[in-house]
Order: sequence, then C-alpha cells, then structure tokens
Amino acid sequence: MSDLVSAALTIAAKDIRIEWRTRTAVISALVFAILVLSILYVARDATAVPALALAPSALWVTFSFAAMIGLNRAFLTENELGAMDAIRLSGVSPSALFLGKFGSNLAFVGAVEGFGIPIFVLFYDVPIGVHLPALLLVTVMTTVAFVSVGTLLSAMVVQTRFAEVMLPVLLLPFLIPPVVAAVHLTAVLLGGRPLSAGLGWLKLLAAFDVAFVTLSTLLFEATLSE
Amino acid sequence: MSDQSPGSPGPTLLDVEGVSRRFGYHTVLHDVTLRISSGDVVVLLGPNGAGKSTLLRVLAGLLRPHGGRIRREGTLGLVGHRPMLYGALTARENLQFFSRLQGINGGRADALLDAVGLVGAGDSRVRTFSQGMIKRLAIARALLNDPDLLLLDEPFSGLDDHGVDVLRGVIEQRRDTGTGVVVVTHVFGHVASLHPRTGILVGGALHGPDPGENADAVRARYRDLVLHE
Repeated sequence: MSDLVSAALTIAAKDIRIEWRTRTAVISALVFAILVLSILYVARDATAVPALALAPSALWVTFSFAAMIGLNRAFLTENELGAMDAIRLSGVSPSALFLGKFGSNLAFVGAVEGFGIPIFVLFYDVPIGVHLPALLLVTVMTTVAFVSVGTLLSAMVVQTRFAEVMLPVLLLPFLIPPVVAAVHLTAVLLGGRPLSAGLGWLKLLAAFDVAFVTLSTLLFEATLSE
Repeated sequence: MSDQSPGSPGPTLLDVEGVSRRFGYHTVLHDVTLRISSGDVVVLLGPNGAGKSTLLRVLAGLLRPHGGRIRREGTLGLVGHRPMLYGALTARENLQFFSRLQGINGGRADALLDAVGLVGAGDSRVRTFSQGMIKRLAIARALLNDPDLLLLDEPFSGLDDHGVDVLRGVIEQRRDTGTGVVVVTHVFGHVASLHPRTGILVGGALHGPDPGENADAVRARYRDLVLHE
C-alpha cells in the first residue's frame, strides 16, 4: 500500500513539476475558461435571460471544456520520448500510475477552477456568500468524477492519431450525468437554498464519484497493454 | 538464476523458446529461440524491418508474444528505439524520477551520469540535448537498477566516436560483472572486440546466435542469409 502511494505521489509530483515549468495546460485552460465565461455572459439577451439563470450552466460548460484541454495533455509528456515504456519496466503498478496521473490532473483542473470561480462571480455577480463552502464541495465532487474518467480515456487515446479529437468525443457522454447534477446543485445554491435542498443530486454525484474512480482504477491496466 | 545450461558461462537469464509475434495478419517474429546466460553478449543483426526491435520489446515484456514461451530471471534494463525519458526534466531529474519509482537510492543517478560522461549536463533539460547525449542518458537510465539482463536497441546510433568507446566500455564492464547483454545493431564493428555470439534476424526468423565468429565470418553469413531471403 505504501509503495502504491509513494509511486503515485512520485508520478504526480513529476507531472506538477513539468507543468510548473511549462505552464502550458493550466494557462491554456484558464484563458479558454475566461473566454467562454465572458462570451456566454456577453452573448445572452440580458432582457430575456437573467445572469443568474444562465450562471450554473455557464460555469459547468466552461469547466468541463476547460478540463478537456488539460486532460488532452495528460499523457503527452509520456508520449514525447516514450517514457511510458520506462514506467512500465520500472514495475510500478497500473493503479499507482493511474492514481498519480489522476492526482496531477486534479491539481491542474483544480487550479483552473480556483482561478475560474472568482472570475465567474465577478462576471455573473452571483450571491454565493455563505454558500461558498457548499459550492466548493460540489466543484470538488464533480471534478473528481470527470477527471477520473478523463484520465482513463486520455491514456486510451494518446497513442491514436487523432487523440485531441477522440478525447472529447469519448469523454462527453460520461460527463453528462455529473455535469447535470452539478448544474442542478449550483442552481440550488445560487438560488439561496441550502445544499440539502438538492440532496438527491448530491447523492447521485457521490455515486458517480465512487463508480468512476473505482472503474477507472480497475480498467486502467487495460489501457497500458499494446 | 539457478538454471545452469551446459557450455554456457553462467546461469540462464533469458530462455526464449519458439516465440512468434504478429501485427494484424502480418507475422513479424517466427519461432524465435534464444538463450542468454550471465556474462553473455549476444549481437542481433538484420536488415530494416526484420523484427529486431519487436524482438527486444517482446523480450522486455513490453509486447506480448502470440506463441512460444519466455522465461526471464533477474532485473532488466532496456535501451529502446525511443529514449524513454522526459524532455521537460533535466538529466538528473529523469534519473532521480526513475530511481524513486524503482525504490533505488537517488545517489546512483550522479554515478551513472559520470559513467556516461554527462555530469556537466546533469542540470540541463533533456529537450536541449543532442541525439548522442539523449542516447547516453537513456543508457544511464537503463543501468539504474543494476540490471542482470541488458537489452540495447541500436545503442550506438547518434553516438560520436568517444560515445561509442564509452558505451563499449560500459557493455564490457557489465559483461565482466555477469550481466547478460543483447545488442541490436547494424554495425557489427562496434561490438566485434567483445567477441559476442551473433544472431541474424531475417524476415522474423532468427539464425543463430553462433559463437565467437570474427567480423569477416559474420559479414559473409549475413550476406548469405539476407541475399538468399
């Protein structure tokens, strides 16, 4: 168990170090998030659609697509000079590799969301106040769901010729359930109601987290075979 | 490592029997049989597309054989067709990363950088390296776990004369300490002084390896096999 955690931490730390040096994924995703949030805000008909009604969907559409930019790059560093073969030869378990990659992807997407939420609040003038901790909980739970599946699918498609096109096509269907739950929960919170008012959606989101993380960890080994 | 084969210099490290491998409907390796013992140096020659790199990947366990049997003992080091490194990390960081994954003392990284002549470039990013420097670092990476069996795919390509000498010295030193070494190369001259057993792979079939031939005999056998394919 400690070997698994230690290898996962080593892999995540390496990814974060590389991203810190290049800042490619996080900055691209953040710029994308700012652009989408501002386009959706400016393009709406302010007389017909109040900002508050659009805000939950705008937030989660933006975060989902911004995350895809980061996830698309998840295994490119391994692909550049064939480092995945050396990892496989080092005897690291596929679960450790998955958890390491999952951890670093969570950090990247979390960083984008960390910058994105204040910008969202600024643009849409939403009253999150006392509901901020609950919104952060929903954000973390939703992010865990789509980053776990995204990490698995990213490993599957990285060897294909059209990886950058394939990932969104494969990932989007899996994003629908957690993103729908997140949109409903965000609407509940921005409407000034407590999180308990959306308990059903919260349970659904928790179930997706458990299912997606477990299945992705178990299935990851298959993506490493030829 | 306890299987002592008759007439071989040490315990058997790799025992390959009747291995085949396909890609789709195309059979790349046919019925390959090979045994590597401790202290053995085996050179594999063959024209482009003969299946040499595929054979090394199968021997390393990176590709599954579709037929036959492979039994491997001890630790393995591989220098593949690609360097298996991270371009955005420095040479030292690469070695430290792979050391940590294998639970090896990170101090070995500096000794290996020294052994392959890269101490001065240890803190430079691999992306800025020449092909020869990347190859040297890939060799250092393959030696991190002090392998019992070392598989080298075109290790001399991209190396200057000094690099060739350094690598030949590394192979010689490994052989003398009991490592079994398999070298895939197009230039037999680089390894002739090691008096290796030489196998020739033609159309996925391995001929040999035959022991102790001189360079002229190897060239003659190669011409015979390749021209009569």
